[in-house]
Amino acid sequence: MNLQLNPEDLAFRDEVRAFLAANLDPAVIYRSRTEVHPPSEADRRWWNSVLNKRGWAAPGWPQRYGGPGWTPIQRHIFDMECRLAGAPELRWQGLRLIGPVICEFGSEAQKARYLPAILEGSEQWAQGFSEPGAGSDLASLKTTALLEDEHYIVNGQKLWTTEGGDSEMGFFLVRTDLTSKHGGISMLIIDMASPGVTVRPIEMINGDVSTYEVFLDNVRVPRENLIGEPGSAWTQTKFLLNNERTSSADIDKAYGDLRRIRAIASGESKNGRPLLEDGDFLRRLTQLELEVEALDWSVLRVLCGAPSRRPPAAAASVLKIRGSQLQHRLGELAVDALGPRSLRLFTRDQAFAAEPAPLWPGYVPGVRADQLYMRACTIYGGAMEVQKNIIAKIAFGL
Amino acid sequence: MNFDPSDEQKMLADSAARYVRERCDLESRRQSAKSAEGFSRRHWQHFAAQGWLALTLPDGVGGLGLGLEEMAVLMEELGRGLVAEPLVDSTVLCGGLLAGTTRGDTLLPLVASGEAILALAHLEQGGRAEYDCPVAASATPDGDGWRLHGVKHLVCHGAAASHLLVSAREADAAGYSLFAVDAASAGISRDAYTLIDGTRAADIRFDQVPVAAADRLHGPAGAADALGEALDSAIVANAAAALGAMEAVLELTADYLKTREQYGQPLASFQALKHRMAEMLVDTEQARSMLYCALAAQAGGDGNARRRAVSGAKALIAQAGLFVTGQGIQLHGGIGVTEEYAVGHHYKALQMFAQRFGDTDFHLQRRARLALEH
Repeated sequence: MNLQLNPEDLAFRDEVRAFLAANLDPAVIYRSRTEVHPPSEADRRWWNSVLNKRGWAAPGWPQRYGGPGWTPIQRHIFDMECRLAGAPELRWQGLRLIGPVICEFGSEAQKARYLPAILEGSEQWAQGFSEPGAGSDLASLKTTALLEDEHYIVNGQKLWTTEGGDSEMGFFLVRTDLTSKHGGISMLIIDMASPGVTVRPIEMINGDVSTYEVFLDNVRVPRENLIGEPGSAWTQTKFLLNNERTSSADIDKAYGDLRRIRAIASGESKNGRPLLEDGDFLRRLTQLELEVEALDWSVLRVLCGAPSRRPPAAAASVLKIRGSQLQHRLGELAVDALGPRSLRLFTRDQAFAAEPAPLWPGYVPGVRADQLYMRACTIYGGAMEVQKNIIAKIAFGL
Repeated sequence: MNFDPSDEQKMLADSAARYVRERCDLESRRQSAKSAEGFSRRHWQHFAAQGWLALTLPDGVGGLGLGLEEMAVLMEELGRGLVAEPLVDSTVLCGGLLAGTTRGDTLLPLVASGEAILALAHLEQGGRAEYDCPVAASATPDGDGWRLHGVKHLVCHGAAASHLLVSAREADAAGYSLFAVDAASAGISRDAYTLIDGTRAADIRFDQVPVAAADRLHGPAGAADALGEALDSAIVANAAAALGAMEAVLELTADYLKTREQYGQPLASFQALKHRMAEMLVDTEQARSMLYCALAAQAGGDGNARRRAVSGAKALIAQAGLFVTGQGIQLHGGIGVTEEYAVGHHYKALQMFAQRFGDTDFHLQRRARLALEH
């Protein structure tokens, strides 16, 4: 047992810090720290290319496809430092979800066609999994892709396609065999500019558009866009989720939220003293800081493959539950720290354009939008209640 | 960073687990809780023979010189078996205070062998947490030595202890000093009573009790810091036992849900109960992570970081433990609130953990204060 970061990791952290300090300017940092959803698309694409030049755009990829060869701990350190420094959060769909799947299951032609643009950030991806009738229960999906002279003809409707309107490409779960419920589901790459693809923005609870409905109406997709064998989507989906076993904890966002709450509570006052010194407030903050610290150690345990009495998949659901519960509570504490000013609606564009003023300090915009949006985090990626069912089954055999 | 136990730690865990499995059944635990001393001398002999009492004590005075990681590995297993013996109080807490002192050279070998049982006599009227309780007991110079006078409150294992580590204030000193006292000394009277988990505690009156010069372990300049450090270590060891109790409750409860039937089906088929079990696991894992956090800070060597981590671990593990063991009772139904079934004993063990050495309010405040200074 050695519970300390080793000297190489500490040196790595310093290297990352120095890089971030040299490459991020205050306007970008401000926009990132609003935590609005979605973040600035231009900032993300720019930062993607900056990181790619340094070889750091895809920490999770195998080295031969452009990954930097970091250990899981180094990737964790990198994500944390980026968040705390106010770097734009890169989009997940290409770099974290489909990129590793193409590296593992894609044909050589697919690798050559798609991976470079993902690394560069010039092509962004949409994830087409959920449907109106298939949320947490993905196996109920109905979108079909039927082969017709070397093309799949795709028909159906996808929902909650995050950033679908800002995406050049998409990866979709489709039914290529209509005879079985669990089999017959394949992963298909679709060019979002294809005829028959219609993207409808959904205004979310925070007043912004971060997610879309995608209608697929007789979309013709070349046969070579199927990933792996027909009917193998569950294998790829499982692989994709396994890659991101700890990310649902959202630990770096949680630390970023704590940083923001402390900034607010230092700027706000109550009874003539800084809010940060108010006993009731401090107790709530301390409780959350502790739980975030515990979550961080839970993440480290999973990253290091710490021994456990229960299967690894149970640990992933535990992280997802506690991480998303903490997101709710962090958002609530940030809002409470702002008080009634948190009621003002700052849309994304208003937040980006806001000039700090005595009545409206720079830490106000984005707090409420983030809190409202993050109500979704106990729903997306498998709702909390589904996660509890999973734990009961695999950890306890119930 | 790696979380894999060393071979030595694995062997320690295995032998403790085997002992718990074979010798620490609920029936014997219930009997020892009702015995005069509140714990089993047979277990105590075994702990001594295994070297478990010597684990954290320094080399050269009968100790093995191992660290809190090893102690945590041991205590988690013993916590599963509802350990009632005073090994954390005697070896980690009091042994820690004796380490490096002249008196320790003669007394620590007896602690390691189990011949001496040490208890901390520190709390007094008006004190809630050992870290900051007011000390009115006095130490008056008498020849080369001292005379102690005062009343100590809630001394855990105070009736069975062979030696007491007593805090007392020297005239004009800002802080208190710590003394080691033979519990059979003239002028000591003990009023013993039973705590919820069977532990025998005592209120102890010191009436001009003579102590030798060498029995003053720490003077007013260093006693509070030394005690703070020893308490931090004792909390970590007890936190590991609390975690063991939580793990035991998870297993017991999952098994019970599979076997107990109501409305013609096993309890395990009810989603409300499955979800409760999942919530109990989430809290148990959070507790385990906080234990690692505290162990890492102990090994890290920064005093402020250690205090912050220990207070954090104490608060979160107590909260989690009371939830998990409390829900263990709830999911068992009526049998859970009887003395005849283990889950209630684990719940009481967690109540002991939550209240001793500063409660959750105390540690959240301490943590908040330290974080502001940080």
